[in-house]
Amino acid sequence: MTALASTAARVRQPLGRTQAIGWFIVVVGLFTVFGMGVGTGTAPSSTLTFTPVDVSHGAPWHLGNLTLPTEWTLVLLGAVIVALGAEVLVRRLAKGAMVRVGLMAIVFLVAVLVWASRQPGPSQVPFINVTAILVGSAAITMILIYGSLSGILCERAGVVNIAIEGQFLGGYLVGEMIDSATNNWLLATVGGLVIGALMGWLLAFLAIRYLSDQIIVGVVIVTMFTGLASYFNSWVLTPYPNLNNGNIASNLAIPGLMKIPIVGPTFFDETGFFYLMLVLVGLVSFALFRTRWGLRVRAVGEHPQAAASVGIGVERTRYVNVILGGAVAGVGGVAFAAIQGQFTPSITSGFGYIALAAMIFGRWRPSGAVAACTLFGVSAYLAYNLQSYQVPISTEILLMFPYLITIAVSAGLVGRVRPPAADGIPYSRE
Amino acid sequence: MPGLRGLWDRYRSASPVTIALLALVLGLVVGAVIIVATTPAILNAWRGAFHSWGAPGHALKVTFDNVGAAYRSIFTGSIVDPPQFWHSVTTGKGWTASLTPLSETLTYAIPLVIASIAVGITFQTGLFNIGANGQAILGGVAGVAVATLVHLPMALHLPLTLLAGIAGGVVGGAIPGLLKAYTGAHEVIVTLMFNYVASYFMLFCLLSTPLQLPDQTNAISRTMPGGTQLAPLFGTASGLRVNYGIVVALAVTLFAIWLLDRSSIGFEFRVTGANPHAARASGINARRTLVTSFLISGGLAGLAGVTWVAGTTHYIDQNFLQGSAGIGFTAITVSLLGRNRPIGIVWGSLLFAALEVGGSNMQANTGIPYDLATVIQSAIVIFVATPVLVKEIFRLRALRAESVKVATAGWGS
Repeated sequence: MTALASTAARVRQPLGRTQAIGWFIVVVGLFTVFGMGVGTGTAPSSTLTFTPVDVSHGAPWHLGNLTLPTEWTLVLLGAVIVALGAEVLVRRLAKGAMVRVGLMAIVFLVAVLVWASRQPGPSQVPFINVTAILVGSAAITMILIYGSLSGILCERAGVVNIAIEGQFLGGYLVGEMIDSATNNWLLATVGGLVIGALMGWLLAFLAIRYLSDQIIVGVVIVTMFTGLASYFNSWVLTPYPNLNNGNIASNLAIPGLMKIPIVGPTFFDETGFFYLMLVLVGLVSFALFRTRWGLRVRAVGEHPQAAASVGIGVERTRYVNVILGGAVAGVGGVAFAAIQGQFTPSITSGFGYIALAAMIFGRWRPSGAVAACTLFGVSAYLAYNLQSYQVPISTEILLMFPYLITIAVSAGLVGRVRPPAADGIPYSRE
Repeated sequence: MPGLRGLWDRYRSASPVTIALLALVLGLVVGAVIIVATTPAILNAWRGAFHSWGAPGHALKVTFDNVGAAYRSIFTGSIVDPPQFWHSVTTGKGWTASLTPLSETLTYAIPLVIASIAVGITFQTGLFNIGANGQAILGGVAGVAVATLVHLPMALHLPLTLLAGIAGGVVGGAIPGLLKAYTGAHEVIVTLMFNYVASYFMLFCLLSTPLQLPDQTNAISRTMPGGTQLAPLFGTASGLRVNYGIVVALAVTLFAIWLLDRSSIGFEFRVTGANPHAARASGINARRTLVTSFLISGGLAGLAGVTWVAGTTHYIDQNFLQGSAGIGFTAITVSLLGRNRPIGIVWGSLLFAALEVGGSNMQANTGIPYDLATVIQSAIVIFVATPVLVKEIFRLRALRAESVKVATAGWGS
């Protein structure tokens, strides 16, 4: 199954991949310096503010606005990008190259933001709200991390869970309905957990018991639940709009810590789902790499035959993990509902798939996945955020950005990452 | 003559056709369960089921009435409405109304056949093209662009429009194909992401000057001129939408049969799909095979997109192939149902087109949302993809049919 790729990897390209990536980053950096930085007009300036939008739990300690000369800031940001590219070229970074591309994307988007908000300039929003951007990015990142953790749990045991998107959708729908009916996000979380676990069970049942192709069955499950969610939307939610009232979860601010400027609103004035996500990251990390259970799971994912020969129940382990993974993604769907509000049929807009890509980028490790999700989350939010400035890029193109960066990153990765050896391969005892 | 005993044996030996038919039955059962679980009238009847002696019978009757009405309108909306048909036969009037269900099913099946063959070709190569929908969108956009912006005599214009659709799809197929061949990026991730990119690209085009209908702020294109449309098969006066796209679908089917069974490229596709190691060992250029497969698949998906526009709406708006209308997603299930073979895909397309069209009729008559059709389709495919499960449920004897073996590669490759 790896034959196609290994031929691709063995043939040396005339221009090495690392060099190509390095030069690409350098070009983007030069564009930042000369395309946007130099010649922006009569010495404009860009202003950063730090007051969060939502101060219902009290504002953090005040930070004054910071006004920067636009040209010099852009030159500086461009220089940072050029330095990233130069690092790739000089140190011949093979493994870290795509991380640099991700960082480049973020720095570049910041540069575009600085450029777009310049005053005097066309923008009607005369400042950049740094805190608001970080809070928004944290929300998207949280959703992606739930999805990635789900993927890690399944794939470490050797089952590809491409149905995360569907589990998000299921969790979102059920969570939204339960919260609307009971006004209780805890019950909603339980509901999302159950529906996610059921969907995980369905995937496990078909993939483990009947040895179906996991990717195909996963995609069909997503199709099925997308249909089911649309069906529910028009058959149940439309006649009973009070089951879809779109409440969002209120924040649980941590006293004291939330007073820290920038950091406080981003990390310590969040919904319960955010803190739960942090706990889950630690828990999955610890369980997978520090416990006997984790060792067994990883053995099943790497070499099921060997695992079976020492008495580990391969099927059982896989069932448990896929159901757990489904549950985590289901809770992620509820978290999605808790920050996004009303359910609409295509609300998850591919985030489950992006989470899967982030998991690959993060090398099937929770810590790596957190870093990758942060990268995707921040760049996605920055791209969405650009809409409010009068940038000469149309909204539709900006909305493509999260998907394009996912494609770009997965193109630069392969051959550099190694999945669990038995990932995606059905296991039969014979 | 096989006799009843022979037929019974044939049923028990679980041929692919048996499995598919039983999967259809199971799919309809799943649909019925969903209707029962979500329809207030049925639930209310059961709530009172133990209040009186007659109540359970009443509840059963309500259940059968509702489910029956739903499935009856799927049938009458997609194949034939017997009373209406009999009326036409006896009086010779109302043929349009009698034939509309079949015409609609065929109309919908046209792009579905083409798109499903597109997906099937990659499956045969051991690749998974989940991006057929995005490629079809690009095909539709490119086709509409050529149709509305270029002025040519009809004899050239229609073929050029269809070619533009193919070209749009080829671009969409080239991206995952080349990326996989030259960087190893997994085609599943790339094509999934590309669907979203294509949708936003379409919106971008529909809101930009050359393509957008003048004096409009909505995302809607100009209408394709008459010469670039695929005309209704029985003339505009017939009121039946089935169009000359059927010729295109037929040609694509024949092409696919030739490609997969007769040509050396198709042989390389199938060998690569069955066993990539053996393919490489026997000197098949893996990279070329992979790219070619994706280019052909993308091109056909693009053709499906442009055939749909040129045959039915003649313009596109922001809902083109979005959500439930995404034929590129239905095509995945159809291809699996048809075991990735052209003839199987044609039958699968007719069945799924009937479910879609009938689903709309069901919504119109009973209010039950047509999305139920998607759920039934997915359930059917899940059962077809796990024939052992069907075998167990119906206690079939042997499994002559091999399960659908499509080895999509794991992430590392």
